Amino acid sequence: MKQIMLNFILAFLIIGSSFAQDTLKAKKSDKPVNFPWDSDLLIDNQTTLSQPAKTLDFIIQHRFGLVNQNGISDLFGIYAPGANIRLGLNYTPVKNLTIGYGLTKKNMYNDFQAKWLVIEQTRSNRIPVAVALFIDFAIDGRSDNAFGTTYTFSNRFSYFSQLIVSRKFSDWLSLEITASFTHFNMVATGRNHDNIGVGINGQIKFSPQSSIIFQYDAPLKIQGISEQTSFTETNAAKPNFGFGYQVETSGHSIQIYFTTANGILPQDIYLNNFNDWKKGDFMLGFTITRLWNF
Amino acid sequence: MKLKMNKISVNKLIGLFVLILFIGALTAFMIPQTQKKGAKWVIPEKYKKMTNPYKGNKRDLKLGKMLYSKYCKSCHGSKGLGDGSKALQLKTLPGNFSTAEFQAYTDGELYYMTAVGRDEMKGYSKKIPDEENIWAIISYLRTLKK
Repeated sequence: MKQIMLNFILAFLIIGSSFAQDTLKAKKSDKPVNFPWDSDLLIDNQTTLSQPAKTLDFIIQHRFGLVNQNGISDLFGIYAPGANIRLGLNYTPVKNLTIGYGLTKKNMYNDFQAKWLVIEQTRSNRIPVAVALFIDFAIDGRSDNAFGTTYTFSNRFSYFSQLIVSRKFSDWLSLEITASFTHFNMVATGRNHDNIGVGINGQIKFSPQSSIIFQYDAPLKIQGISEQTSFTETNAAKPNFGFGYQVETSGHSIQIYFTTANGILPQDIYLNNFNDWKKGDFMLGFTITRLWNF
Repeated sequence: MKLKMNKISVNKLIGLFVLILFIGALTAFMIPQTQKKGAKWVIPEKYKKMTNPYKGNKRDLKLGKMLYSKYCKSCHGSKGLGDGSKALQLKTLPGNFSTAEFQAYTDGELYYMTAVGRDEMKGYSKKIPDEENIWAIISYLRTLKK
């Protein structure tokens, strides 16, 4: 697995440097590249785009039910019970740092998040990639009896941290790879508390405002950090695959997509997603963001 | 007697409904007519003299088109004719970028209008903090001339 990951990163950098030649010829300035992504969110993932300082971002994320469960009887999941929704507020107090809070219907997760854009890709290609760190801390908001007989408040906590490396290859193509660590303080019997995951996300722009987006998040099965004797269908989370359409205006970003996991929060997706996209477990979802600049 | 009363009330209600519809329809035609042409722009001297340092840069022109599409099109229209989808909601006419009158503004004046703005045409310097990007929009505005 390590070998695959290394090859993957190597290929990414090689392709990157070949595309980069064009950028180099076009402009010998060392400013950060313009609009590496259209939005700071990409379905379930974060991108290396940071809004200008003093921007407030209101986010609505919605997942309907599974398309393949009841067919036409619940209009392919649109009218299915168990839809998930997250309402969030993000604020960028200073350049390249965003903090946020959100409330998700599933498990009533209250989550606090921060994203720091550490390095920006430059136009001269002196810095060929952008690097961001993302952390999310969530508090499960269900009633006490959901946590068994030995309840303590910290049982509700879960943590997610992620390293994001991205590159805008051309005006129409941006890709990013991610590596993450997830930890839940309390999990169901027979399940793992920790997970390491990797992912790849992309944006293919085909008009000034529209693009096709995709994501693939894979929780890795690493025996060294597992508390279970083996990974099975019931304790190993499944990859999250999604693809969709994104349109961007001055104040809004709208994404409509099919995705596999319904957790919305990344820690839930990496540890608790048992939907299998290979079996057609997809759900319709959308994200709407509204930006205000102060 | 009671039936008659009811009939009168129903007729009155229908009459009122038709009246509201009629007024509504009239208002729909009235709103665009009440849009007024914007007053003359008061632009500080230092902006008037500014020139576009990125003039003729093809890459910036492409960027300008993207930015125009994202930030300006909804009011000013895809060809700058002032016929964007939100144009009719404005109190002031968004102007026509293809006219000689508009194109006569200097680059610096257009920079001021775009970055600093006034009233309904809010300045975009907060949403577009990089000066070069504002200039890219202005380069694109020049291509809308007819």
